[in-house]
Order: sequence, then structure tokens, then C-alpha cells
Amino acid sequence: MHIPDGFLDPIWSITTYGVSAVYFMSILRGMKRTFTPERISLLTVLAAGIFAAQMLNWPLPGGTSLHFVGGALAGILLGPFYGSLALALVVTVQCLVFHDGGITALGANLLNMAIVDVLVGYAAYRAVTKVMGLSGRSRFIGGFLGGWLGITLAGIVCGVEIGLSPQFPYGIAITVPVMGSWHALLGVIEGLITGLVVSYVASKNPEIIFSDKV
Amino acid sequence: MKLPSKPMLITIILIIISPIFGVILADLVGYHEPLDVAAEKLGLQDISENINWTPFFDYTVPGLNPIVGYIISGFIGIAVIISIGYALSKITGERRH
Repeated sequence: MHIPDGFLDPIWSITTYGVSAVYFMSILRGMKRTFTPERISLLTVLAAGIFAAQMLNWPLPGGTSLHFVGGALAGILLGPFYGSLALALVVTVQCLVFHDGGITALGANLLNMAIVDVLVGYAAYRAVTKVMGLSGRSRFIGGFLGGWLGITLAGIVCGVEIGLSPQFPYGIAITVPVMGSWHALLGVIEGLITGLVVSYVASKNPEIIFSDKV
Repeated sequence: MKLPSKPMLITIILIIISPIFGVILADLVGYHEPLDVAAEKLGLQDISENINWTPFFDYTVPGLNPIVGYIISGFIGIAVIISIGYALSKITGERRH
């Protein structure tokens, strides 16, 4: 999911940096009053956990593999904007300290993992819990759908970014099906983990699921 | 800033077992993300190594074997994230006072 240096067309590099910068400047302006040491503490511990979880790749015999992204989980537990900040912290540290994800692609990687995955995951969870009411079952289903849909759409957006390049006129016709189908398939694992973690947290500390408080 | 102990313990365990998935199994079955598949079809070239700036490139530590380097890298990453969180928490706390 982490786009390295060399994959993005310069136009897309600048555009995605712009979109991510505008998004994060806007949410930070709105969040100033809600910052508390307690919420920062939750954000930090979740970011550290997601960073560690992303180091566990799931290589499948036959060649293709994926790792947990955690955007939907962050969006569900922390709410969409704190969730975006948690993922932004993870993705930026990965890029700057380990060169996992290119510096020219940092805007795109933030857009895919810290914005699309987080917001889609949050919206799916909220939709399910609104329709079904808050219960262990609805939280699991909401978490599962949020995790699966979040990573699938993030994968599709990633496919659009690398496929829409003047160098490859038909690139998007190749990259979007590849990214979309593989992420939809392997994203089931992301959905299961998200659903199980949300259910577990709800059974132990339901007060820290900020999406349930809106 | 107080970090809850149980999630931190889980995080540490994940880091310690991470080389099984991130290094050993990856070497055995060949690590290939969907993004790599799509990039191969377009003939895109990863130029990260040519413009690298960090000694911890791809979760390695110079002079250490890949498994130990992967674990140390995990702890470095967590330390950086917690330091940033701590700084944010301190700034937020001071502002509120």
C-alpha cells in the first residue's frame, strides 16, 4: 500500500500533497479546542500499535501479500479526525525514518491511508451502528465492513494515482482492477481484525470508542 | 502522558514476533504486494535506494542481521511515535493551564 519513490507522476505527487495538506490544515484548525492530553495519549498508543501491526506482513503462497493498515480501526476508535492524525503520524514516521513509502509519494500515501481508509472505515461503521443500533454484533459487523471497505477503496484510489499518468495512457485500466480486486480479497483479513478489535475494546472499555459518542 | 500498559505490551509483543512475518516468511514465499503487481505491469521503477537518506532503510540497521535489525527498527519507530505524542501532550497540557 505504501507507494515508493519513482511510481508517481510529478503532477500526481504535487496534487496529492496539496489535497493532504489542505485536509490536515482544515482538521487541525477545527480540532484545536478538542485536544486533551488524554486523547493525545490514546492517539499515541494506537499509532504505536498500528505501526507495530503494519510490520507483520501476511505473505501468501503464490506470491501476493498484504499488511494490516489500520485506518478504519483508528477512525472508529478515535473518530475520523483523530484517526487521520494517528495514521498520519504512522505513515510519516515510516517514510522519514525507514523510507517505507517515498518522499515524493508521502502526500498520496497520506491520502490513501490517513484520509480515505480512515474516513470510509468510520462512515461504514457509523452507518451500520446507526441502522442496527449499538450492540456487540453491530460493532463487529460495522468494524468488519469498515475495515474491508476502507482498505478496498484506499487500494482503488492508490491504483488511480499510479495509473493516471501521461506516460501510461491506459495505465488506470490496468492498475485499478489489480489494486481493487486484490485489496477486496485480502481486505477481508483487515475487516476481521478491525471487527474483532472493535468488539473487544467495546466489551472492555466502550468509553474509548469515540465513534459511538457522536 | 500515561500510556496504558496492556496495549503497549501487545505492541511490544507484535514488534518481537514481527520478523517471523516481515523477514522469515517474506523470504520463504516471496513478498509481493498488489501495488508491486500493478507497478510491474506498467513497468514502474522503485528508485527508493537511489535517493535514500536514512540508515534504517526498509527496517534494517547497519551491521545487524535482518531479523535483529527488524526488531530494533520496530522499537525505534515506536520510540519516535511516543516522543512525538509526548511532546504534543505536553504542549496541549501547558496550553490548557
